[in-house]
Order: sequence, then structure tokens, then C-alpha cells
Amino acid sequence: MPKIAIPTALRQYAGGKESVEVTGRSIGEALANLTEQYPELKKHLFDAEGKLRNFVNIYVNDEDIRYQQQTNTSLKEGDEISIIPSIAGGAVSEEVLKNVALPDLNKEEIARYSRHLIMPEVGMEGQRKLKAASILLIGVGGLGSPLGLYLAAAGVGRLGLVDFDVVDHSNLQRQILHGTKDVGRSKLQSAKDRLSDVNPHIQIDTYETALKSDNALEIFKDYDIIIDGTDNFPTRYLANDASVLLGKPNVYGSIFRFDGQASVFYPKAGGPCYRCLYPEPPPPGLVPSCAEGGVLGILPGIIGVIQATEAIKLIIGKGDPLIGRLLLFDALKMKFRELKLRRNPACPLCGENPTIKTLIDYEQFCGITPQPAQTAETADWEITATQLKERLDRGEPITIIDVREPHEWQICNLEAYGSKLIPLGQFTSRMNELNSADEIVVHCKMGGRSAKAYELLKQAGFKKIKNLKGGILAWADQVDKTMPKY
Amino acid sequence: MGIRLTGSHLEAIKQHGERTYPEECGGLLLGTVEDGRRVICEVLPLENVRPDSRHNRVELSPLEYARAEREATRRGLGVWGYYHSHPNHPAEPSSFDLEHAPFTEWSYLIVSVRAGQAEEVRAWTLREDRSRFDEEEIEIYTQS
Repeated sequence: MPKIAIPTALRQYAGGKESVEVTGRSIGEALANLTEQYPELKKHLFDAEGKLRNFVNIYVNDEDIRYQQQTNTSLKEGDEISIIPSIAGGAVSEEVLKNVALPDLNKEEIARYSRHLIMPEVGMEGQRKLKAASILLIGVGGLGSPLGLYLAAAGVGRLGLVDFDVVDHSNLQRQILHGTKDVGRSKLQSAKDRLSDVNPHIQIDTYETALKSDNALEIFKDYDIIIDGTDNFPTRYLANDASVLLGKPNVYGSIFRFDGQASVFYPKAGGPCYRCLYPEPPPPGLVPSCAEGGVLGILPGIIGVIQATEAIKLIIGKGDPLIGRLLLFDALKMKFRELKLRRNPACPLCGENPTIKTLIDYEQFCGITPQPAQTAETADWEITATQLKERLDRGEPITIIDVREPHEWQICNLEAYGSKLIPLGQFTSRMNELNSADEIVVHCKMGGRSAKAYELLKQAGFKKIKNLKGGILAWADQVDKTMPKY
Repeated sequence: MGIRLTGSHLEAIKQHGERTYPEECGGLLLGTVEDGRRVICEVLPLENVRPDSRHNRVELSPLEYARAEREATRRGLGVWGYYHSHPNHPAEPSSFDLEHAPFTEWSYLIVSVRAGQAEEVRAWTLREDRSRFDEEEIEIYTQS
């Protein structure tokens, strides 16, 4: 007769025996016979539904029955059966879905997700977890596009989208959610249309608003995972702080030119937060945005897909998440590097004695002064594109100084009006090329960099200077409609 | 119920945690039950067989476990618990530990290791209904 070896801990329910002889032609029958002989064993080996408990492994002659015919595995005389507990532990649980009822998949969904379902790491359980999960995407632009497309396609049950922008021609080089026909439409509408087409089985909720301290917690609270796909420091700190306060994982990504970064900030699972990495924002203007510095169109695709992968791993609870690791990507070298991130015990947000317990004013924290309400009037240090054109047409001698970079000059410029290129970085050293007696107008792309040039000139004692309001883009809008915008 | 072990058992558990830091470690506790207390005679460090997430997950090999059971039985002992480390986390059971603890009859020892230094070791038992862990007393005895 086959024998079943009983683990020490359960021998008290088997008459103190180390092993019990059983009858039966299969494992299932042998186990049934065992619990008939010793009914007390039943609740230790089987759950309320009569299934083997998840920690009970059954081995026949050192072979796991999971890799044979499960409980149908046949037995022969002299077989040695062992009940072996699977022994596992861990400091923290990183799975974001806990104790939620998993929804069933219908026939169409099973067909749609079949390539997931046949992978043991996902399977029916993982796919049902994806369906039960909800993810909030902040921004449906460069990073939000691949994130939205892949997360929708993967079957994440509910996606929340936050944005308040409209689709512009300059978005299409990388924001693959939107098409040429969508230019001028709300990004949220465009994104919702596209994502509903990708996967009609998921729910998409939109928030046409700027994320602020007074609405972030309310919007975040119903989501399992927060993904920040924005490109500005106030939102980045806001998303980080709100996620930490609510104990939610924040999947971080950032991009600039050829370089990208990604990580998962999840202090509740033992990892650091964005503030552990960067306690303070950089001074305003020091780190250029993608609108100022540019970005390779493909880069948000790569980083966004990494973020989407991390989100899916967190939901299905598989693999090594990017918690406590900062992944750095260099597209020019085509190299990934990894930095270990440690939680800062003195972090004001997630440290041992946190001082930040509510959301703050992030614009102020990042040193950004609120913009005065836009009026048609210009300050006396500014000149509009229309005014400049009128004065040039009257033949007034005006020296136009373009403080952009040479590659921007190549896209469009005011050379026809005698404009001269002095990039902002060279401005101080080349100021001697200018005559303070001349009437000078400085400009850049949108007016920000030239405002700095204006300040430098003023400090040097120049008096007859103006800044072109709205930069060369305003000229393209108001004066020369044939001029390309970028 | 309570668990009794020696200072050198505790030391062995701590050293195992320090050796594998920042990854988790685990091993079995061999002994007997006397007067309603688990008395540990041997600490058996095992390998962490998890391929991934080793910084916060540990898994012991089922076959090594089976071997330990046979060996313990041969010597008149039994497997009465297991220990594992929590790198950079307190010596308290996590929800993952709760979901994966096999026996209500066992002692579960957890050693907290921070910055490579083992700190405290605490002992826990699983409630009958598996709803939670309760802390149990660790009694140090001297091996005669």
C-alpha cells in the first residue's frame, strides 16, 4: 500500500504517526482515504471549498504532482507520498490588489486576452486582477500615449485620465494617441475615443482639469496605481505627495531629449519616494522642459512602456518591481543603467518623523510665481508682434536680437528684418556687440528666455530695450501666417 | 505556547540574515514539544530558492524541507517552525507572511536586518482561524 509521510506539525491529527498507509489508485483517492482515517487532518489540508490549501504541496517519490496529473496522478504499490508545506515569507506585500473580489472574464475577453492567459505568470487570475484594477494617468501626452494604449489593450479595468490641453500639431511627433484629425480637439476626448476603440471592455473616466492640491486626493483615492506622465515639477511633487499620503504606488517616468528615467515610488512597500531622491525642486528655469529643450519622439514611447510594464507587474504581483531602483536610459548610447535608491529616514514625507501631512502649494514650493491674469495690454517693457511689425514698416531703426539656439534659428527667424542671433548662454560675453544707443528688441521662442536677456541688458545699463511678447510664435500667429511654428 | 531556544540559535539566525542582506534568508527550526512549549535543538539555515524579488521574498525548497523532516524524525525531533529575515523592515509578520504561513502549530521567527546589522528577533504564532499572528514569548535556555 502507498504511504503518506505526515509533517511534524500535523502528526498530532494523525494519531502521532510519522506516516500513514492509505488505499487508493490516485493521489485524490489516497488523500480522501487519509482524511477518512483521520478526519481532523481535513481542515489543515483543505480549505472551505474542499481544495488543497495553497501551501500544501504533494510529492510522490520526490516529484511534485503539479507537474504530473495533479490529484489524478496515479499511484502504485510502494509509492511514497509526502505532504510538504511550501514555506515562503516576505517583508512586505507589493501587490496593490488585496482582498478584492476578482471579476470573471466573459467569452470575448478570454479570446482577447488569450496570449496573457496562456502565460502562467498572468493566467486567468492575473487577467482578472488586471480587470479589477484601476490606474490614474496624469497627462495624456508623450508618456500618457503609450501608457494609455498598452494599459487599455492589456485589459486594465478602469483608466482615469487627467488633462486639460488640446491637441496641437507639435504634439503629433510623439503623442501617438492623437492623430492629425484630432488637432484642436480636447486631448481627453481624443484619448477616450482612441482607447475605447482599442478596448471597449474597459471603463475610461476623464478629469478635464489641472491637477491641484485641492482636487488631487479626491481624484487619486479611487485608484490603485498613480502614473505621472507630466513634465513639470509642481505636478511631479503633487503626484508624489498625494500618492504617499494615500499609500499608493506612483509609477514615475521622465524624459528629456535622448535621456529617460523610470522608477516606482512606493513607501508603503518599503521603497523610497520622489522626495527621498530629490528633496527640493531645482530653481525655476534651470531644468528645461521638453517644450524648451526638445525630446526625441520615440523616447516617451520607451519610458512610457516601461512605466506600463511596472504597473502591470504591480497588479499581477509578479517579478521584481522598480521599487528602490532608478532606471536610466540613454537612447544615443542605447544603454540602460540602474541606480539603487534608498529610502531617506529623514524624508519629510515618508521618513520616520514626517512633517508633511497634507498637500501644500506646489507652484510656490517650486518657486513659480502665479502668472498675472492675461490681458491684452502689454507692460511697458514689452512690445507685441503687431506693434513691432508696424514700427519696422515705418522704417524705424530697430535692432532685433534673437536669443534662441542656432538649431531653432534654422526653423524660423526674423533675418529678413536684420535679426541677429546671440544665444542666451553667450549673451553676457557678447553684449559688447550691442550699442546701448540703439533701440533693441529681444526675442526667443515664447518670451521666457528673452525676458532673462532683457534683465541682463537692463542691469548693464541699457535703456531702450523691449521684449517681444510671446516670442517668435506670436509673430507667426499675428504677423506672418506662413512662418512655421515649432 | 512559547518557544525556547539558546543564545547561539538566535545568533545563528541573526548571522544568516546578515550574510544574505540585502536579500531575505530563511531556515527551519528543529526540536520537540515539551510542556506545551516548542523547544528548539537545532537551527537549519536553508537556501532562498526564489528567482526574483529576493530583497523582500524568501522561499525554501520543498525537497530540502522533506529531507529535513526525515533527518529530524530519524533523530527523534520534528520541524516545529521556520525563521526568515526582513531586510530594512521590522520583525513583524507582513500580510504576505500571513497568506503563506503553513501551520497553526508552528513558531515563526522573524529577524529584522537594517544596514547589514541584525536587530531584533521576534516570535509569532498563527491563530487557529489563520486570521492573524500573535506574538509569543522567546525563552532563552542554556544547552547542557
